[in-house]
Amino acid sequence: MPRRFVEEGDGTIAEEALRALEAQLRGKAPEGLSRLHAEQLQHLAEAVREARHRQAAELEAAGDQALRHIPKALRVPLRRVLG
Amino acid sequence: MSEGLDARAEIFKLARLLRRDPAALEYLEQVPSTDIRALREQVTDMLFTAHGHALSRLAAASKVLPVGLIAIIGERAFGPVLAARIAGMLEPSRAIDVAAKLPTSFLAEVAIDIDPRRASDVIAGIPPQQIAAVTRELVRREEHVTMGRFVGHLSDEAILAALEALDDRTLLRVGFVLEEKDRLDHIVSLLPERRLNGVTEAAAAANLWPEVLDLLAHLSKQRRSAVALSAAAISLDDAALARFAWAVIQEDAWDPLFEIAERMPEHELARFAGALADHLSNLDPADRERVLAHGQSAGILERLGPLRVALGSGP
Repeated sequence: MPRRFVEEGDGTIAEEALRALEAQLRGKAPEGLSRLHAEQLQHLAEAVREARHRQAAELEAAGDQALRHIPKALRVPLRRVLG
Repeated sequence: MSEGLDARAEIFKLARLLRRDPAALEYLEQVPSTDIRALREQVTDMLFTAHGHALSRLAAASKVLPVGLIAIIGERAFGPVLAARIAGMLEPSRAIDVAAKLPTSFLAEVAIDIDPRRASDVIAGIPPQQIAAVTRELVRREEHVTMGRFVGHLSDEAILAALEALDDRTLLRVGFVLEEKDRLDHIVSLLPERRLNGVTEAAAAANLWPEVLDLLAHLSKQRRSAVALSAAAISLDDAALARFAWAVIQEDAWDPLFEIAERMPEHELARFAGALADHLSNLDPADRERVLAHGQSAGILERLGPLRVALGSGP
C-alpha cells in the first residue's frame, strides 16, 4: 500500500526525505514516520547520519591510540591477529 | 495507558541515543510509540553493526592479552564508545574480570554507550556492589535512560543494590523510561513500604505525577493498590493539587486516577474533585462521556461530587 503523507503538496519532498532517512537506517523506516513532514524527516535523517559519523570518528581515534599502549613484544602477534 | 506518555518516554530514549535534546524531537509525539521504539532499535542495530569486522578482530586480539592490560588499553586507548562496542564480543567471564579492574566513572561511561542486549551475560555477571557503585555515578549524571535500559538484564540481588543507590525522584524517572515496563511490577515488589511513600512524596514535591500515573498503569492490581494508597495519603496544597489534576487530564490517565481517588479521605477527595472540575472545560463532550463511563464502571463517581456535576451526570 502506498504511504500517505500528512500534507498534500508536501508529498514528493516527504517521500524523498523518507528515502534519505531509510538510506541512513539501512532499511525501511517504521510506517508511523509517514505522519511526519518533510523537514522533520530531514531532521531525523541528519541526526542519524551525525550519530554514525560521530561513532566512526570515535572508533578511528580509539584504534589509533590502542597499539601505543601495547608492550613492544606483543605488537607483532597482535598485528598478525588484526590482519 | 496514555499513548502520549509512552511516546514521550520513547522520545527521551531516542534523543539519548542520538545525543539530541528531547525537545528537538518533540515532533515525534504524533508517531505511535511502538514506531518510535522500532526506529530507536533500527538506529542501535545500524550503529552496532557498522565497523563490525574491525571490532571483532580487536576483540579476537584481546584473547592474547592479560586482563589487566586489556583494562588499561580499554580505558586509556579505546575509550568508552569502543569499549562498549567490544564488551559484548568478549568471552563474558573475561569481560567481567576486565570490568572489575576498571574505575567506576569509566564503567558509567561505557554503560551509556553499550547495547545491553548485546552484552547481557556480561551485565548479569557484574557483582551487585559494583552495579550499585555504577548506579550512583549514573544517578549523579542524571542518566535515567541508561539506567532504564539495564534493569531487564540484572539479577534481583543486583536490582536491590541498584535500588538502594537510587533516590526516590530518580527511581520514578527511571521507571518512566524503563526498557521492559512489564518488569515494573516485580521491581516495585522489591521495594520496602517506606520507599513507596518516598516515591509518592517525591512526585508531589517535584511534580512527577505523569511518572506516577504511568507507573500505576503498569502494575498488577495488588501493587497498584499499595502505590495508590500511598499517593492517596498525601495531603497536597492547592497548587500541587491543581498540577496533579492537570496531569490526569493531559495524560488521559483516568484509570490510575480512580485507583487513587477511591482511597482518598473524603475531604481530600472533595478538594481534588474540585481541582479536576476546574480543568474539565478542556475536555470535549465525547471525552467527558468517556470519563463518565469510566468513573461509573469504577464505582467511584458517586463520591466525586463536583467532578460528577462537571461531567454532566447531575448533582
